[in-house]
Amino acid sequence: MPSSPLTGDGPAPEQPLFANYRYDSRFYDEMFEADAAPRDHCRELFKVLGGMAPEEIAAMQERAERSFLQEGITFAVYGEEGAQERIIPIDVLPRIVDAATWDFIERGLRQRIRALNLFLADIYGRGRILTDGVIPVDMILGCPQYRIEMRGVSVPRGIYVALCGTDLVRTVDGFMVLEDNLRVPSGVSYMLANRGAMRASLNKLFRQYRVRGIEHYGALLRQTLSELAPRAIADPCIVLLTPGVHNSAFYEHMFLAREMGVELVQGRDLLVHDGFVYMRTISGLRKVDVIYRRVDDDFLDPLAFRPDSQLGVPGLFYAYRLGNVVIANAPGTGVADDKSVYAFVPDIIRYYLSEEPLLANVDTHLCRNPEGLEYTLDNLENLVVKMVGESGGYGMLVGPASTQAERDAYARELRKDPANFISQPVLDLSCAPCLTEKGASPRHVDLRPFVLTGHETRLVPGAFCRVALVEGSLVVNSSQGGGGKDLWVLPE
Amino acid sequence: MLSRNAQGLYWISRYLERAGHGCRLVQIQYRALQDRTVQELDRTWLRLYLSLGREPLGGRLGSNRDDDDFMFADAYTLTDDLTFEPNNADAIRNCIAAARENARQVRNVIGNEMWTSLNLLYLGMRDLGVEDIWTDRAGNFFVNTQDSIRGFFGIADNSMYRDNGWHFLQLGRFVERAQHMTALLDAQLEIFPSARRHVEPDWRSLLQIAFARGAYSRLNSLDFQPGAVIDFLVSDRLLSHSIRYALEHISNSLDVVSEQRPLAVEARRRAGRVAASLDYDWPNRDAGDDAATRATLGTIGSACRRLNQDIEASYFNYEIEDSPR
Repeated sequence: MPSSPLTGDGPAPEQPLFANYRYDSRFYDEMFEADAAPRDHCRELFKVLGGMAPEEIAAMQERAERSFLQEGITFAVYGEEGAQERIIPIDVLPRIVDAATWDFIERGLRQRIRALNLFLADIYGRGRILTDGVIPVDMILGCPQYRIEMRGVSVPRGIYVALCGTDLVRTVDGFMVLEDNLRVPSGVSYMLANRGAMRASLNKLFRQYRVRGIEHYGALLRQTLSELAPRAIADPCIVLLTPGVHNSAFYEHMFLAREMGVELVQGRDLLVHDGFVYMRTISGLRKVDVIYRRVDDDFLDPLAFRPDSQLGVPGLFYAYRLGNVVIANAPGTGVADDKSVYAFVPDIIRYYLSEEPLLANVDTHLCRNPEGLEYTLDNLENLVVKMVGESGGYGMLVGPASTQAERDAYARELRKDPANFISQPVLDLSCAPCLTEKGASPRHVDLRPFVLTGHETRLVPGAFCRVALVEGSLVVNSSQGGGGKDLWVLPE
Repeated sequence: MLSRNAQGLYWISRYLERAGHGCRLVQIQYRALQDRTVQELDRTWLRLYLSLGREPLGGRLGSNRDDDDFMFADAYTLTDDLTFEPNNADAIRNCIAAARENARQVRNVIGNEMWTSLNLLYLGMRDLGVEDIWTDRAGNFFVNTQDSIRGFFGIADNSMYRDNGWHFLQLGRFVERAQHMTALLDAQLEIFPSARRHVEPDWRSLLQIAFARGAYSRLNSLDFQPGAVIDFLVSDRLLSHSIRYALEHISNSLDVVSEQRPLAVEARRRAGRVAASLDYDWPNRDAGDDAATRATLGTIGSACRRLNQDIEASYFNYEIEDSPR
């Protein structure tokens, strides 16, 4: 195995892993800047991995997958019929981000989340941005994620979004935000699990690169939640509220509760009495100060939101309004990651911060506007059209992959209720080498860093890097065959 | 500790103890199949069903017991009923499924090893039917299942932190054991009154069910006197399946988890009272008086059921007013 220093320029050894790698100049490649020419910060990775025997790499892959299964790092845990546990496939070739790039991402995310919190405080408060005409009033008030119940509620420090997981993609033009995910973002446990597996497999290289650590995420999360506590309490009681074992992210809920050292509760463990929230323990009721909820707004409190909810706590919202408990994220944050509000985020940043946005938005055409509708209809075969209220790829038309009949049918729906649709260009997601049967091949990737906001905004230098495992596919969603890989952020 | 987690642990071990007991009953019955007459087998089947409080297929408990018309159903059918019958909540597979479901709810407080062992146990029998285990060595299934259950408790013994969670696991196990042992002894006296000329294998098999035969023989030679056998299974302090032993463990665990709360104190007192009655009153009983013995067993049995209610009410489902803040 080569042992040249990180910046060494020795002759490249035989490269069986990358021998068939086909660099494609249409996409930004995370590792290569030209054919067989790795970027500076990827050179050592290229040499070490390239110098490994195929069997060695296959064994590494198998080890990682086995450890996932054994530890139960799975999603879609159980269906009605019993065990349907699946692991999110891990790709063992890490993606490396250099210090300058990460610094840029971090600054961009901090700026964005600061503005979005100000925006939420404003629209649930005086609504300046609406009266100033920056955003159409009906778009906000008509948004199903807008919670009228939140009007005038005092949210501690104005932090509506304490946690988010922003989806970023990189194209040849740079980084763009694909989605903000301000409700109950998941994936952070996979980020940590991928890291655990890779640190074990590529330990020497990992240390050589001095990869920045992300293991303190649990501690940061706990600290952030403590800072949101309703009163000045030295050691507030924090709980993680899960919908239960049938939720597809239950593993993550369990994992995070353990990482933070807090109780994992379900709705029926909590009760509201005299305006305070308590959890039922064997030594009596214990007052709860902060709830990190992984339950959607709709199901939080049957008295305030959906009356048929079995997952929530009756009276929870009442206790919240009284300021006796903090719910993170606050109810009603979903309005800020609505797909049509998304188009206004750059304006939101300019409006509240008087700064230019650092991270670009994807060009978005609102079909509620006549010109947006016309453009969308004229260019259906080149666009991705989405319904504003949907997520997870539902109700979406991918123009280039559609038939004329599909487009015609979709256009009819679109004309019926244009305000419910937006369109975006098809993005050229960047590629990174992934292990396939033919050695390393380029696959499209994105990344989801996790941002925490308490007294200050914090993020660990890492992200859940999602991979579209199918050649040419742009779909990175875990539910649709996507995988993950470790993301290494380098020190300055 | 969260009440739901404590409750989950309590019920995991209750269900597993119940499944283990069921396996043991069937296993001992199987041994009898080899060398006992049909009439004798009928009585031990009856003891088994009576102790579980379940109607045997094809017959009614308590009827025509002295008739020659004895057979209810064949062993194959009865085994299926006790092991796989979906509508029998206490069937072995149902108990293991229920234990696993409880474990799934509290996976964050049990270790991976405990979960895995229970999960594998369940998955191993999920798709089985009686036809799959009915071979020339049909008893193996029940032996192996007991081994797996003991494996689970062994992992718990060796890996769990001895905090409240551990004690709720103990509580579930021994509350269940005290209840099923009481019921078993009562059924024994119903089917095999001590006044009647006793047939040694009926009493030997009773000891075997409670893993007590070796110890009993060492202490009492090979004379299986009904009075002495009952005495041993009720009040011996060193026998892991005696009622006295179970009560001692219940008391110890309640001592640890008890807070100064009215109901919790009541549970602790109740366990202590029953244990004391076994220490001080039980030895004075007339061993020949089955009715008196069964009445005492009835009192112990209902105290154990009340114990369960006390635990449920003081730790799991208490009223807001009963909770100190």
